[in-house]
Amino acid sequence: MSGRALDNGLRLLGLVMIGVIVCFLVTPIFVTAVMAFDARPYLGPLPPPALSLRWFAKFFSDDYFLRGLGTSVELAVLSVTVSVCVGVATAIAVERASFRGKEALISFFLSPLIVPPVVTGFALLLFLSKMGVINGFARLLCGHIIITAPYTIRATLAGLSGIDVSLTEAALSLGATERHAFWDVTFPLARTGIVSGAIFAFAVSMDDVAVSIMLTDANTYTLPVALISSMRANFDLSIAAASVMLMLLTLALIVVLDKFVGLNRAIGQGVFRS
Amino acid sequence: MTDAAQPSPETVIAFRDVSKRFGQTVAVDRVSFSVGAGETVSLLGPSGCGKTTTLRLISGFEDPDEGVIEIAGESMVGKRPYERNVGLLFQHYALFPHMTVAENIAYGLKHRRWPKAEIGERVDEMLRLVQLQGFGDRRPGQMSGGQQQRVALARVLATRPKLVLLDEPLSALDAKLREELRVELKQILAAVGSTTIVVTHDQDEAMSLADRIIVMNRGRIEQQGTPDEIYARPLTPFVAAFIGRANWFHGRIAAAAGEGLCQLATDAGTMLAIPHPGGAGGGSWSACIRPERVVVMALGAAGGAGENRLPGQIVDVVNMGAELHYIVDGAEGRLMAVEPNRAGPRVRRGDRVQLLFRADDCVVLPRKPD
Amino acid sequence: MKPDRGSLPLLLPAGGVFLGLFFLPMAGLFIESFRLYQPGSIGSAANAPFTLTNYAELLTPAFADFFLETMRISLLASLAGLLFAFPLAYWITRRFSPRGRAIAVGFFVTLMFLSVLVRTYALELTFGATGPLRPFLQALGIALNGRPYIETLVGGGLLHYIVPMATLTLLGTIQNVDPRLVDAAQALGAPGWKAHLTITVPLCMRGLLAAFLFAFTFSISAFVIPMILGKGRVLFISNLVYNRFSEIADYPSGAAISMVLFFVALAIVYVTSRQVNKRWTS
Repeated sequence: MSGRALDNGLRLLGLVMIGVIVCFLVTPIFVTAVMAFDARPYLGPLPPPALSLRWFAKFFSDDYFLRGLGTSVELAVLSVTVSVCVGVATAIAVERASFRGKEALISFFLSPLIVPPVVTGFALLLFLSKMGVINGFARLLCGHIIITAPYTIRATLAGLSGIDVSLTEAALSLGATERHAFWDVTFPLARTGIVSGAIFAFAVSMDDVAVSIMLTDANTYTLPVALISSMRANFDLSIAAASVMLMLLTLALIVVLDKFVGLNRAIGQGVFRS
Repeated sequence: MTDAAQPSPETVIAFRDVSKRFGQTVAVDRVSFSVGAGETVSLLGPSGCGKTTTLRLISGFEDPDEGVIEIAGESMVGKRPYERNVGLLFQHYALFPHMTVAENIAYGLKHRRWPKAEIGERVDEMLRLVQLQGFGDRRPGQMSGGQQQRVALARVLATRPKLVLLDEPLSALDAKLREELRVELKQILAAVGSTTIVVTHDQDEAMSLADRIIVMNRGRIEQQGTPDEIYARPLTPFVAAFIGRANWFHGRIAAAAGEGLCQLATDAGTMLAIPHPGGAGGGSWSACIRPERVVVMALGAAGGAGENRLPGQIVDVVNMGAELHYIVDGAEGRLMAVEPNRAGPRVRRGDRVQLLFRADDCVVLPRKPD
Repeated sequence: MKPDRGSLPLLLPAGGVFLGLFFLPMAGLFIESFRLYQPGSIGSAANAPFTLTNYAELLTPAFADFFLETMRISLLASLAGLLFAFPLAYWITRRFSPRGRAIAVGFFVTLMFLSVLVRTYALELTFGATGPLRPFLQALGIALNGRPYIETLVGGGLLHYIVPMATLTLLGTIQNVDPRLVDAAQALGAPGWKAHLTITVPLCMRGLLAAFLFAFTFSISAFVIPMILGKGRVLFISNLVYNRFSEIADYPSGAAISMVLFFVALAIVYVTSRQVNKRWTS
């Protein structure tokens, strides 16, 4: 009977572990969300005696954060646009390649994902300085493009490879040229991949710290960089308010992703490995 | 087939010594055939025989390494699939999931630049032809397999292609649906007067749909002919074994036996009466007899027509409902006899019986080296 | 490797972007790591001689300590992540309804999408030395400023990303294992835990290795998590690179450390994927 006792013991242990890890994952988020509404002007122990929006007001009245937010959004929109265009063109070309060539091309275009972001940022900084690019925004844009491009390429490839080849052939046999077949059949069906890629890329760009911190200058900085400096200087709850808003942004992105693509499919496209 | 006095029908497609290689494998090996207007021809063979490659050569998705392909007299060299008016019905239909049924059917018309006014009419005409009136606004995902097949057919026929290619048209359907749609398919194709090539590995499909069958094996054509010719007079051991069931005997010609017959001395020692294959005596031959032509009788019973009587023992009796299969073991190995099921099995497992068959019913072919 | 005629122009934009924003910069970084640095200047001089001192410096025990600490914490966090994620993924796959599974997937994807800053701040706020839980943690006898606690917190920060990611990866892997195999093992006499150990786990090996690979490369490259949660006392290699850059402007040294980190990450990916493909390709 020791088999059964051990079984039950281990099952209990498994459930305890699950409980612990889920608590661990959720508690900090929950605590932050609650503390963001703390009415006290200082950081005190839980629970907050009263709720208020003071920290949100503080965040929105702080020019430093607002400039960072503006820059982040601009960078995200621009880099995602460039990445999506590059990603779609590249994914089409790779999809058509021969089998061996395809593997090599995919490794090539997904390689930035392996490199630690700090290294990417550092390398780019040195190179852009040598090339004479000193404008902070331009440098940040370059950084954001190279970190978002692999995501759009990967997701679009996953979307394209899911399309049955016989659909394109049917279009060709009915009289459509290759170009027409692409726009009539391939592109509409690959749309989910493209949308996934764009959303992943947007999230990556808004969230990036390591690359941005290397490329930033005194005048141009992103919101995450601003938040990090603030965290090291003065650990107060206005950052909690910023966190709550970033959480809401994440939720919004997830909802959009689910509506347009479906989460299960999006994950498949996110971890696509040829 | 065609009356000798009539002029030969216009040739819609001609293959002349066409070959196609993929790396080291020869998928299609010097294949020649032609199909006349209004004919339905089937390319029949096991997987890997080259029929799918032939299909892709006709539709333009592959180019031949050697040989000439002509459609309606025009050479197809360098012509892309959209430059040939060849309709292709895919095995899994390949309906565009993001377009409605009407848009699917209209797709070919749009790209062949039919005037807008006529497209709508033609789509309606096609829907009526396949009995899907009113389904124009549905999407393929909302329809059953049989309905999808009809939409795919309508899409293919809409542009009045010179040649229609069907790739395993009935394989994706279950047995009952297959029977129904086979009849419908034949009627529709006849009504439209189309010239059709059916590619399949299923001999039932080939025999029931086609006027003429081309049996392929390993890239080559083994035999071309009507279903009856292929079945009753196979020219190679492959065709004989592939079509229908067969009992085989292998041996050497021992002596002539008058009236065009001769004696085959089998490897196991039995003497069989078979039609004389012609030429000098001797040589190794194989004879096959269809199970439907073998009669099972009680051992020792006299009577019954047939020069050949082989003793044996019933190993299994299979009641297929409409047919009875008797599996018999004897000196020549395991043989099968089939008869229509009129009143249930006449013998049981273990019974000693004799197998009767006539010499004329045997098909004699040169023996293949093992 | 030839793409067909129409594809070449399509590859040009990506080719240009990757060349200009990735390969050339990385090559430049590689070269920079061999240049001599004059203390007091910014980066290396224009025609500085080539040298190996930047790499030689890394062979000292001080750097080795940083390196090993990064590896140690990363390894522990990755293993812990898998250890927690596996039962979690198993429970969700086998015991949840399809709708429940969809919600669980949504939950984990949201966690993964959540900004790393939010997570790190949340952890520091909740479990840190100046957070609202301070009295509670101190009552448990934990030295909130002690090194072991800080290391654990950094590991926890890594876990916060690793567990959702590994769980999502393993959901697919476990779904592909036929539950009847475990039933068969039990019918043959193996107790539940043994059946899982000898059947489920080996069949999930490919997914487990893939998840570990992801987790480990993510951990050793981590920047924000050790920066905030490490409080300057626990430094990962990425932080070292940043310090060389921002505090001392010793670019060549920073470049050398970067190259080491890069090649280590590359080696891990290469070795592990070869292993995965070699042993588990059917």
